[in-house]
Amino acid sequence: MRISGFPPVSAVRENEVKMDFIIQAIVSGTLMGSIYGLAALGLTLIFGVIKVINFAHGSCLMVGMYAAYWVVTLTGVNPYLALIVVVPLLFFFGYFLQDIVIKPVLEAQSDVREPTEVIIVTSGVWYILDNITLMIFGAEYRVVQTSITGKSFEIGEIIVSTPKLYGLIATIIVSVALVWFLKYTKMGKSIRAASLDREAASLMGINQYRVFNIAFGIGTAIMGVVGCVLLPFYYVFPTVGVIFDVKCFIIVVLGGLGSIPGALIGGIIIGLIESVGAQFMASTWTELIVYLVFLAVLFIKPAGLFGEERDW
Amino acid sequence: MTKETLDKILKIVLIVGVFTLPIWINSPTYLQILILLFFYAYLTTSWNLVGGWAGVLPLGHSAYVGIGAYTSTVLFMHYGLSPWIGMLAGGVVAAIVGTIIGIPTLKLRGAYFALATMAFGEGVRVFIENTDKIGPFVLNGPRGICIPLNESFWNFQFMSKVPYYYIILIMLCIALFVTWYMSRIRIGYYLNAGGEEPEAAQALGVNVAKYKVIAMAISCFMTGLAGTFYAQLMLYFYPKAILGLDFSFEIAFIALIGGRGTLAGPVLGALILRPVTDFSRIYFSSILPGLHLVIYGLVLILVMIYQPRGIQEPLNRFYNWILDKVTGNIEKKGVKS
Amino acid sequence: MKKSMKYGFIFVVALIFACSLVLAGSPAIAKTKVVKIGNILPLSGPSASVGIQGKYARELATEQINNAGGIKSLGGAKLENIYVDSKSDPTVGVSAAERLINSDKVTILSGCWNSAVTYPSTQVAERYKVPFIVPVSVRNTITERGFKYTFRIAAKDAWWARDQFEFLEDMKKKSGADLKTMAFVYENGDWGVGMAEQWEKLAKKYGYDVVLNEPYPSTASDLTPVAMKIKRKKPDVILLTSNAADAILLTNTMAEMRVKAKAIIGTGGGHADPMFRKNCGANAEYMFDVVEWEADLRKPGIPELNAEFKKRHGFNLSGESVDAYASVYVIADALEKAGSTDPKKLRDALANMHLDSGPAMIVSYDAVEFDETGQNINAGIVMVQYRMIDGNLERVSVWPASAARAGYEAVFPMPKK
Repeated sequence: MRISGFPPVSAVRENEVKMDFIIQAIVSGTLMGSIYGLAALGLTLIFGVIKVINFAHGSCLMVGMYAAYWVVTLTGVNPYLALIVVVPLLFFFGYFLQDIVIKPVLEAQSDVREPTEVIIVTSGVWYILDNITLMIFGAEYRVVQTSITGKSFEIGEIIVSTPKLYGLIATIIVSVALVWFLKYTKMGKSIRAASLDREAASLMGINQYRVFNIAFGIGTAIMGVVGCVLLPFYYVFPTVGVIFDVKCFIIVVLGGLGSIPGALIGGIIIGLIESVGAQFMASTWTELIVYLVFLAVLFIKPAGLFGEERDW
Repeated sequence: MTKETLDKILKIVLIVGVFTLPIWINSPTYLQILILLFFYAYLTTSWNLVGGWAGVLPLGHSAYVGIGAYTSTVLFMHYGLSPWIGMLAGGVVAAIVGTIIGIPTLKLRGAYFALATMAFGEGVRVFIENTDKIGPFVLNGPRGICIPLNESFWNFQFMSKVPYYYIILIMLCIALFVTWYMSRIRIGYYLNAGGEEPEAAQALGVNVAKYKVIAMAISCFMTGLAGTFYAQLMLYFYPKAILGLDFSFEIAFIALIGGRGTLAGPVLGALILRPVTDFSRIYFSSILPGLHLVIYGLVLILVMIYQPRGIQEPLNRFYNWILDKVTGNIEKKGVKS
Repeated sequence: MKKSMKYGFIFVVALIFACSLVLAGSPAIAKTKVVKIGNILPLSGPSASVGIQGKYARELATEQINNAGGIKSLGGAKLENIYVDSKSDPTVGVSAAERLINSDKVTILSGCWNSAVTYPSTQVAERYKVPFIVPVSVRNTITERGFKYTFRIAAKDAWWARDQFEFLEDMKKKSGADLKTMAFVYENGDWGVGMAEQWEKLAKKYGYDVVLNEPYPSTASDLTPVAMKIKRKKPDVILLTSNAADAILLTNTMAEMRVKAKAIIGTGGGHADPMFRKNCGANAEYMFDVVEWEADLRKPGIPELNAEFKKRHGFNLSGESVDAYASVYVIADALEKAGSTDPKKLRDALANMHLDSGPAMIVSYDAVEFDETGQNINAGIVMVQYRMIDGNLERVSVWPASAARAGYEAVFPMPKK
């Protein structure tokens, strides 16, 4: 069976791939991957705690990007300053999303550990968010020129994209902050307790729904950060969330639901597949590789790299 | 007259009306709307075998539509094989693929199954988008395949919409019959039990997994047939339309809103939601694009919160209430005959 | 509850639905003395800005024709445009074509910009034997299926590719630059893949070594891997086919990754989009692009028409709008010659057309005539180069010599920054 287009021209012609380019690919892949990991972080928190598959996650990212876009376009500030507005905005957005839309479903199914109705409801939210945005803002792809767009610097032969480097830094800061929050603050501990067993936690006096709201809010707030990070180099349009949505789910499963290091490492793995993989085949095939890896993980170790074994 | 008699009369009127529709509706546009409506009703009914009876949430069913369409079209373009036969071939290929995918994934719980089916669906789409030819068979990658005009019955191509109307109507009736029949034989009970109380079912020695796979195979076979129908109706298809995530989700949404696991639910969902799509596209697409999807989303959320069994339940009650009023029967509250 | 009664409620729903059907398919009330043109354009989605330009251009031409008395051989009948949004989706295009023909009963169809939409929509028109004018879509095969009712005004993609390569030959001679290797980078859709096929053939003919053949998904979130591959292969010439958003992303990423070449040539589409100019700025300087028309062409009537258009809509005419503008005049001419709205007569009038005068002649060539496949044999293209003039990124026509802007010559090869 000969499939034309695979393996493509580039792999057949190249006999050796220079080391520099591999290193460059690794660097670029890691940078982009860390941003993917950041996006997956919010999702893994939500899934780990509330056991909710949030299909509207990508749409929350889209909301974050549009918010960042408008803040930057209207006030001309640096996108990272826009964080001040975008992050709290997204936090409350997530908080109320959980409270108004998802809570009723959870309440109706309080005996089931993982209601599949929630998947459906969050899918509905996804459709609504994406299409209301389409109606209000139109389908055009918006791009913003910021002070760091298109900038890069060189370390020896390796070129590092400045906005993506900032993305990596943001990821590190947010992850550290999140870990500290979960480990040392009272609310953080409540969240962890509720994630292990929501019935027991509620018996202990923890208002499980309030905890869920906050966890969801934090998850969405993280998407706000990702929005600001992506703005300097990516375009804003109503369905931007869809691409990231699917990737985030793959990363979260790959890394293990509820695991923070899992999300980050999973993100980097995906980033590397896309970046290094693309050097050996047409970039359109790397998408397929990512799906295959995902399916392999699902079948071999559904708990993911760092997840705990559950009775799947 | 009694309620039962009125009910029977209405049913007969409905069936006669549907089957004789083309006699008094001539406009190809109306017919096209109805054809697409039955097409979706057929798809959701087929989906229901897995999504409803087997109790899981498949979100990648468009892959089977695509497999059916590509198989029959490739066989037609390359070997001149009549799409009628190609349709069956497509269905078989879809069933085989569905079984291969089903065996490992049906073991996964709820959310994971959903994600796995999504990944497979997207995987098939990406694969076909990137592949121009498999051996001698031309797939044309992202450009899709345009079937040359060559009108004849054997080529499954008709100038008028009427033959298409009857074909999809008959397919829908067959799908409904298959669903009804399966619910009455053992497999239906096993799947029902497996969906509600999997542990209990297993304790009783029911091989739930095996029946789930059988349901999957049948569902995929039927879905594959729809793919060929679509190809012959439109004479053109390409990966993003026929293999997309949007398509998979649309099928699932309609079935869920209508009421999965019931016989009438999926059809009902299509009956109500498809006109919404068509209207909003005709009247609003320039002012408010995507309106129909917002409506889908809203209805979906409301239904899931308030009527998780789908709207067929309240509609059912409403219908009975009307019948009662009309025939002057008054039933005591809570007492059902 | 008796089981047999359970499903009867479908009757109620069907009844409601039947009433709603009346709304859904209601045809427009027929007016006398009006000729309806059905236009299928991307009015939303990634190609919206081009689709809207096409709409404005058609409206301008229609207004001019109607004000000048309409179609005289039909008793002064006015032209009326019906617009349907294709959303760049072929399936929508196909249903739109069906509805325009069957419900709205249009006399002629026009559209659709996206080749992927035009390709199946013209088949619908052929099925029902209604003429279909294609102002802009370039995919070869649109006019290579033996259709009798499809007529295309713009050049085929084979000709675009041919002109891109002829330009390179010319530049090689003029500048003495040595061009040996080529890279093809293109969007993974209908248009890109079609162009790439043409490039392969021509590269072989002219003896270039193709070091990279890289399709990429138009919605990719990151094109760094693609930019890296280009850099690694060090091609002399890069040929691009992109839609608006990815053209911007790719250009900026290539600038970021410091990708250099002797010549970078786009194929219109995204590279011609005003958004591209706005968002790439100096990163796009010295890039070439191939289009069917540019506002600085030296032909009579252009400055006046452009001023009028700019006054109404705030931006210049472009290749798309000019072809759309001309297409309405083509339709009007065909109607005049046919003296009827009968599809067969109209079709014959189009097949025998030789339109070489009138406002439509702002195109870059001298007459519109169609060959037996429905292709306009005179369609030509112009090569422009992005240059910074007074701090603004502008498109300057540089080739062929007859079309070049006075005082400007192509800067070739691209200077190393």
